[in-house]
Amino acid sequence: MKFSRKLSLVFALVVMLLVPLFPMVKAQDCPTAQDEYVIGFANLTEDIVFTQLVREGILAAAEEAGNVEIVLADNRLDGATALANSDNFIAQGVDGVIHFQTDEAFGNVIMSRFRREGIPVIAIDIPMPGATFFGADNYNAGRLAGEALGEWVNENWDGEANAMLVLELPQSGPIPAARMQGMEEGFQETVETPVADDMIFRLDSKNTQEESFQVVSDTLPTIPDAEKIVAITINDGTALGVIAAAEAAGRAEQIMVVGQGADPSGQEAIVAENSRYLGATGYFPELYGFQIIPAMIDLLECRAVAPAIYVNHVFINQENVCELYAEAWPDFCAE
Amino acid sequence: MKSATSRSLAEIASLVVMLAVIVIFFAQASPVFLTQRNLDNTLLDITTIGILAVFTTMLMIGGGLDLSIGSTVALCGVVIGALQSTWGILPAAGFAIVVGALVGLLNGFLVTYVGINPLITTLGMLSIARGLAFVFSDGLTIPVFDLEGTQIDAYNTFTQFGEGQILGFATPVFVMFTLFIVGMLVLQFTSYGRAMYAIGGNDKASQLAGLSVRRYRMTAYMLSGLSAGIASVLLTSRLYAADPRAAPAMELTVITAVVLGGISLAGGKGTLIGTALGVLILTTLLNGMKLLSTSTDAQNIAQGIVLLVAVGLDQLRTRNINWSRWLRGSRVVPGGAGAKTAAGGD
Repeated sequence: MKFSRKLSLVFALVVMLLVPLFPMVKAQDCPTAQDEYVIGFANLTEDIVFTQLVREGILAAAEEAGNVEIVLADNRLDGATALANSDNFIAQGVDGVIHFQTDEAFGNVIMSRFRREGIPVIAIDIPMPGATFFGADNYNAGRLAGEALGEWVNENWDGEANAMLVLELPQSGPIPAARMQGMEEGFQETVETPVADDMIFRLDSKNTQEESFQVVSDTLPTIPDAEKIVAITINDGTALGVIAAAEAAGRAEQIMVVGQGADPSGQEAIVAENSRYLGATGYFPELYGFQIIPAMIDLLECRAVAPAIYVNHVFINQENVCELYAEAWPDFCAE
Repeated sequence: MKSATSRSLAEIASLVVMLAVIVIFFAQASPVFLTQRNLDNTLLDITTIGILAVFTTMLMIGGGLDLSIGSTVALCGVVIGALQSTWGILPAAGFAIVVGALVGLLNGFLVTYVGINPLITTLGMLSIARGLAFVFSDGLTIPVFDLEGTQIDAYNTFTQFGEGQILGFATPVFVMFTLFIVGMLVLQFTSYGRAMYAIGGNDKASQLAGLSVRRYRMTAYMLSGLSAGIASVLLTSRLYAADPRAAPAMELTVITAVVLGGISLAGGKGTLIGTALGVLILTTLLNGMKLLSTSTDAQNIAQGIVLLVAVGLDQLRTRNINWSRWLRGSRVVPGGAGAKTAAGGD
């Protein structure tokens, strides 16, 4: 009995001595783990609302984390600037980097620098070799909108539309193409009677409301008999262009539109009376940081992180806009 | 001439003081600023601006102006990307430099022979070159890689333009230094350099003196385009990619640095040492602001203020204000004592 008491005492002492050593063991296992981190964030550009919201979200998430300092840079939509910012981050001794840069083609040269220094990188929206990807799940984001539009047609137009306008952005390559494909397939697979191929009109929106207005204004007179027209659009701006063109042609009641983004201009159209904007898939740029910063800390503390982390998209319409943006639309949400 | 030389030395001294103040300020504000790594990065970052600034200086001394250099850099890069697999990467790079020179030559022809204002000519060329860059690339960035694995040695050589080292300097930095030195020698010790000062100072007098003003100016525009081609090869090699959006608003940065360095918008004045200091001041300022995480808006405002201050100082120099009279309440004395001579140049 006496012996076992002594044994217990020795065991307790050993444990008390070893416990403070655990963090050291952790630090040795994970050389990048620290109490505080400096993380570089190079934004795509500071000239558009979407990326400004991304930056604000990242700063807010860093503040919430409590042990993260953010060093900011602006890639100015330019590969050379993104490369210069990468070199600057390394010179400043950052622990990790969040890169929102303009083109996949620059990924190799940028990542070669960070790999040499052993700095983990999270790439927003544009994949880079060796970086953890964070961004839109483009195809599924598209599908959400397409399926919602298909369900609306089933309920309101007896499951049939006469024509489909596809407001796309061909020059920007595979990412917007995936969104458009998701929307089109989501709609065609949901609606009871898919739109015939010869009644699908693919129009280059050039990503602007003005161009969208113009091409739809040119197209509507070519389908005078179509009374049930659906439109799938690359973003809120192009959706607004479609609706404006239909209104100008006196055919607003014949069209229903979905889009991508759900930015404030899109939300305004969604909550409007007799709206022809059914809704848009939300990307929530203001929340990017709250997924990215914890993931970066996990990377720095050597915890497993998925190679690709996707935004949690939601299709935003009149039914749920107040759950997400009640403060933005007090009159609508008070009703 | 003596007073012009001493005035030129005073201007350079004031630029050195300005640079020193900026360096001291940012050295205090950021522990990273004076590290070897940051200095290396800064030098590498200014190579495109520096190379363009050498020939913009020559052009502006001769009374010209080229707003199309940034777009020409993008166009030449796209030429490399588009031709790399059919022509081979090195011939494509060589041809890109030729394209740059041809763009400059066309600018020169339109300005000197057709008589279109340089601002309008090169503004038009800015749009044309950028538009062609988008057309040839379908608006997409073109990766510059040996995708078929048939030109390994050639691509290795091409990569050295951007990533290699010569005499301990990164290749683009070495090229920039070399061009600055050659440019200084040309401006100071050759008949071409003296002719550019004379033409910029007074082109009619130069014409009467027997100088072929058109030929000299066309050469200056051609060299300006050529420099865009050279800068484009180095940039494309560094990035392993050709981007039709490359070098955005680069012409404004270059002109800001050049004017800040004492090159007169009216022509006939300035030195490449001043331009080198102007480039260093501007890029050091922007680098320091970046290190302090200053917003892009603030950086743009700073660059704009630097441009206005530089142009303002240029105007004051050109109008040759008699400061003692001005302080006594007299008005500005346009073209007062010591006004620009017909031969121009300091």
